[in-house]
Amino acid sequence: MRRKFGPLTILEYTCLALLAVLFIFPLIWMIASSMKPEAEIYNNMNSFKAFLPSLHLAEWFSSYREVLTRFDLLMYIGNSLFYGLCVAVGSVVINGMAGFAFAKLQFSGKKMLFGILLALLIVPFETILISQFTIIHKIGLVDTRLAVILPALAGAFNIYLFRNFFMAIPEEMIESAKLDGANTWQIFWRIMIPMSKPAVATVGTLAFIGSWNDYIWPLMVLTDKSKFPIQVAITAINSTEPVYTNQVMAVLTISTIPLILIYIVAQRYILEGLSGSGTGIK
Amino acid sequence: MNKTILKETRPALPIERKTVNKIRWRENAVAYMFLGPALLILLMFLVIPSIMAVYYAFTDYYLLTPDLRKFIGFDNFIKLFQDPIFLKSLGNTIKFVVLLIPLQIGAALGLALLLNKKRKANAFFKVAYFSPVVMSLVVISVLWMYLLNPNEGMINNILAHFGLSPQPFLTSPKQAIFTIVVVSAWQGAGLQMLIFLAGLQNIPEDVYEAAQLDGMNKWQRFIYITLPLLKPTSVFIFITTLISAFKLLVQPMVMTQGGPVNSTMTVVYYIYQTGFTDRMVGYASSIALLFGTIIGLVTLAQRKLVKEDEDH
Repeated sequence: MRRKFGPLTILEYTCLALLAVLFIFPLIWMIASSMKPEAEIYNNMNSFKAFLPSLHLAEWFSSYREVLTRFDLLMYIGNSLFYGLCVAVGSVVINGMAGFAFAKLQFSGKKMLFGILLALLIVPFETILISQFTIIHKIGLVDTRLAVILPALAGAFNIYLFRNFFMAIPEEMIESAKLDGANTWQIFWRIMIPMSKPAVATVGTLAFIGSWNDYIWPLMVLTDKSKFPIQVAITAINSTEPVYTNQVMAVLTISTIPLILIYIVAQRYILEGLSGSGTGIK
Repeated sequence: MNKTILKETRPALPIERKTVNKIRWRENAVAYMFLGPALLILLMFLVIPSIMAVYYAFTDYYLLTPDLRKFIGFDNFIKLFQDPIFLKSLGNTIKFVVLLIPLQIGAALGLALLLNKKRKANAFFKVAYFSPVVMSLVVISVLWMYLLNPNEGMINNILAHFGLSPQPFLTSPKQAIFTIVVVSAWQGAGLQMLIFLAGLQNIPEDVYEAAQLDGMNKWQRFIYITLPLLKPTSVFIFITTLISAFKLLVQPMVMTQGGPVNSTMTVVYYIYQTGFTDRMVGYASSIALLFGTIIGLVTLAQRKLVKEDEDH
């Protein structure tokens, strides 16, 4: 076999490391630049110091303090958290209930509805943006928080995911719960949901991330700044004079921290959901 | 199970039929109670808007004067194919798709192959390659605007180190779309790397060992084993990338506003501009209908291909 540190291994590691730099340097630069005075960012541009925060500890958070006094960042983050949590919880409950009906309940029109559901999977959301907006406009929800949350609550893909998960739960468990006197509602909450924690986690986290990252829809339906989620606020802040690079980087960093935390905590479920595994979609 | 028991007893007693109907009715009521919220939302925000988009496409609907709306047949579509900005946006979108797919998927596969080997530092490299995925499209767009700034951005500083002249990047009609391709591939590759990696790790070790015993070299093993066994993963990644690339919107919207001189205007962005900014709902709907049909057909074709593949 090959020696442990042959020239090939060194080449391999050099390759891996250079690629790592290529992928991670913007993130490092973003965080480092948010922790130093404006002038230093551009003075450091030509040296390794561009990727280090200021040498003076006292300056690390001054851009954060400044940007927090100029803009109500906590409000935007709060809005995003509110939208994200509503969409996450709502998605789990609403899509879970529908998935349960498709997996375990008998009703007329089931086949047809399921066919329609599968057909809905291919409707590209981006192309019906405008007519979605006219609906929001017609029912008078323009510039309300409900307009941001409501359309995101149900999704054909999530219903399909829940249905597939519920199908795997043995019929006997439901029958025995029925014999114990449980009604359908109780079966859903006490058997189906607790037994499908991975599906709940996948749908919940992906719904939260999707809502947190959504830009175009809140931009369209909201006009009142106090309802803006952070993503819309970022572009507004980035075009509000005077623009300071370190402050913009501070905003970008703040907006990314919740996502980093979620990816660390729920990485397994996120990957399962995004790679389409467990759904039968390949 | 309940059903069969009820069926057997049904002819014997006519009263039973009523009970059966009652049970059926109750079953339906319970099921639709569970379906209700989801169906209502899908109907309001997916089904009805889709139907409306089809209808609006043949009208001259202007958002502020809904009462003056009238049916104009194929006028929108005729106008569409004479609209230089639409044609430009279609060309840009196709350019983006055609360039992004090999770049992003190639990068993802390359990274996955590099990492598909037992190594202590792999966890670190994986996190590094994945890090752009964690940032939102808005964040990466704003961040790269600073990095790519023609005068004081870091990328031009690095180029200068290698004696290269500063590039205009996003401010040049020639380079802007390519820049967006690279930034998008940079962001998307990390996720697909993980999906490829999962696919690679599903390939059983003994297949390789057998091939090695048969005298296959590394390259042959890659061509005759890895690639064919990776096909389901590759098809999945190809299709999802294709569809999401078609819908490119946020990056040009934040970084270039479609410019310079419409060189980064995309179809979905143009739908947004005509329908939302200019409020020409009818015209925007005709673009949406045309484009939605194209994406729908691509998706259907892919489903067929994958199905046929599985049947073999």
